[in-house]
Amino acid sequence: MIYLDNAATTKMFESSARVYTNYACTNFFNPSANYAKAVEISKALDEARVSIKEKLKVSNGDIIFTSGATESNNLALRGSLRSGKWEYIFSVGEHPSVYNVAKELEREGYIVHFLSLQSNGEVNYEELSKLLNSKTRYISLMHVSNETGAINDIKRVSLLRDKLAPKALLHVDGVQAFCKIDFSLKELGADLYTISAHKFHGPKGVGALYVKNKDSLKNIVFGGGQEGGLRSGTENVAGIMAMVDAIKHIDVIKNYNHVLKLNKIFKEVIAGKTGISFIETQSPYIISLSFEGVNGETLMRALQDDVIVGMGSACSTKKAGNRILENMGYKSEKIKSSIRVSFSEDLTEDEVKSAGKKILQVYKYVWEKVK
Amino acid sequence: MKVLLLRFGELYLKGNNRDVFERNLIAKIKEKLCGEKFKFSKTFGRYVISEYEQDRENEIVQKLKQVFGLYSLSRASEIDANVEAIENEVKKLSIGNKSFKVAVKRADKNFTMSSMEFASYLGGVVLENNKDSNVDLYNPDIMINVDIRLNNKAYLYTEVEKCQGGLPLGSAGKGLLLLSGGIDSPVAGYLIAKRGLEIEALHFHSYPYTSERAKEKVISLAEKLTDYVGDIKLHVISFTKIQEAIHVNCQSEFMITIMRRIMMRIAERICEKYELGAIVTGESLGQVASQTMQSMTVTGSVIIEKPIFRPCIAMDKEEIMAVAKSIDTYKTSILPYEDCCTVFLPKNPVIRPTVKKAEREESRLDIETLINQALENEEILEIKRK
Repeated sequence: MIYLDNAATTKMFESSARVYTNYACTNFFNPSANYAKAVEISKALDEARVSIKEKLKVSNGDIIFTSGATESNNLALRGSLRSGKWEYIFSVGEHPSVYNVAKELEREGYIVHFLSLQSNGEVNYEELSKLLNSKTRYISLMHVSNETGAINDIKRVSLLRDKLAPKALLHVDGVQAFCKIDFSLKELGADLYTISAHKFHGPKGVGALYVKNKDSLKNIVFGGGQEGGLRSGTENVAGIMAMVDAIKHIDVIKNYNHVLKLNKIFKEVIAGKTGISFIETQSPYIISLSFEGVNGETLMRALQDDVIVGMGSACSTKKAGNRILENMGYKSEKIKSSIRVSFSEDLTEDEVKSAGKKILQVYKYVWEKVK
Repeated sequence: MKVLLLRFGELYLKGNNRDVFERNLIAKIKEKLCGEKFKFSKTFGRYVISEYEQDRENEIVQKLKQVFGLYSLSRASEIDANVEAIENEVKKLSIGNKSFKVAVKRADKNFTMSSMEFASYLGGVVLENNKDSNVDLYNPDIMINVDIRLNNKAYLYTEVEKCQGGLPLGSAGKGLLLLSGGIDSPVAGYLIAKRGLEIEALHFHSYPYTSERAKEKVISLAEKLTDYVGDIKLHVISFTKIQEAIHVNCQSEFMITIMRRIMMRIAERICEKYELGAIVTGESLGQVASQTMQSMTVTGSVIIEKPIFRPCIAMDKEEIMAVAKSIDTYKTSILPYEDCCTVFLPKNPVIRPTVKKAEREESRLDIETLINQALENEEILEIKRK
């Protein structure tokens, strides 16, 4: 079985699992306690924060540990709300953990704008520059789209923000970018940045939010005051330490180049075949493909004993339709016939080649049956 | 002593068969309360559940309200049938209420007073005990019922809670429910079971065109139904090869007609194999193209020896949905997983098919072989009551 749904989740590194066990069973102490063993854990967490910042290539600011990207996104947004006539900007391409919060704010009476997407999946920058003004409080964009692999030009957005909306906070959901594409958060200029461990071979249920200026954020849950008061609740020490272990084992540039090669090989196998098309986007980790005349879900199931592929955001397959592809101008027939292939650096060229061939073969088989 | 007083309805109608029906009902009550501590007893025309754990009362009542054949129940006090004891209990019940009515029934005709006399006597007791109270025969704040039975006991209660009604499960035999995963078929199963028909269920899947989740959904629907119909044997048949064959060989507008005719044939074969007496479907007249009178004539015409029961036939979608909500299958039914009727869906399904045309389309298929292959791969799941 070849697993090509790494944008949904990845296999945990064995070393991370060992670290997890160590901090769950041996060094299990509560980092808020005052005995020496606990203080050591507290120090380890602080070192973990430093490691994450190093990977993000940023020196100032803080790392808040959370239960994952959904919580980080909620904390970033809800924690940035201010009373008064402020405006909040999102793209329609955001993950539900941003998009649905934005929809909720709209219902609560906040002024919310949604940016459309270009046909390549990137946000519409012109539209953004028209919306930005001195009352803009918050801009939230994803770094890499989990559905299409499109990369938003965050640097460009932060420069626009500096010029047109200096009071706005820029939040970036970096779940599909962190540990996958090479960037410097300092250069990007984001104020808030979300990461999630299980997307880069760490455990599920743990993530973090980078915060440039802690004072700009308010806590949304109340309790013991951990994480500088921004996220009360005993830290998931084992999860955090396993996440940091995964980070340490990832060579972003080397992995990127390998995945870029895998991406090319995969496309070579399927390119030019009748009925198949894919969206040209920038992250080599994700390819969105469509198969004329065949339901994407049917294809996914017909494949699953040999190749596991995804259906866009696995978090939202419970709902019909796909707002992201729709906004990029795709017709519903094409959307229904789409699947998502997403790579990991642990795949070999041969695996990707044979997965591509298998997909072709199964597509042909199903197409013959349903044509 | 706190007891539950149970009444059964239509069983009265059953004359000489009444004993059989009653035995069946009692068995179902005991089965339903399996795991609870309780004592069951019979007085003429009533059942009494006693000696149960008081803090389990709501759960026990809830369970009894799922038993077909029970008409209503009351949470009652059981006391000795003497005037003084009854007086005291009536006084207790009337406290805190302004207007009241006392109604007396006597199965024990040797009791010291007639029903009317005793009711007015007890009314006097209440009035004397509570000077502010008054009798209201039409719209009382509290209705005090005194039921004097032949076992020398009196049962006093103020509320009558409605139960399912219907006939005890199994009293009408056993049938096969076609369970698709939609809203209608679980409702059909529930409604027909209410008339005493025990059910097994048949589900068709069309993997990989339908998902595992669609099958899981049907399993959870069957689980929900077990609250009312007890354990269910779920027969699962793969319909993929058959659908592919129809798709390749037959006119697309006949897809659903032919599909349903083959489903019916498979259902009848399963009925024969497992000794089931009827086929039950969730069809509702005119709801979709395959549920017109003509379509049902054509799909039903392949069935020779079994009746087809369609309990939802005359119900509006909203009425069906209301029942689905009341039996808690609705939320599961609306989960968006495709069932095998929604794949290969033609744009213009035939609305008024004829048997002749359907047979002509079918002549291009080796139906017997397709059915045999499907039946060979039958999967059976035993869905147990929780």
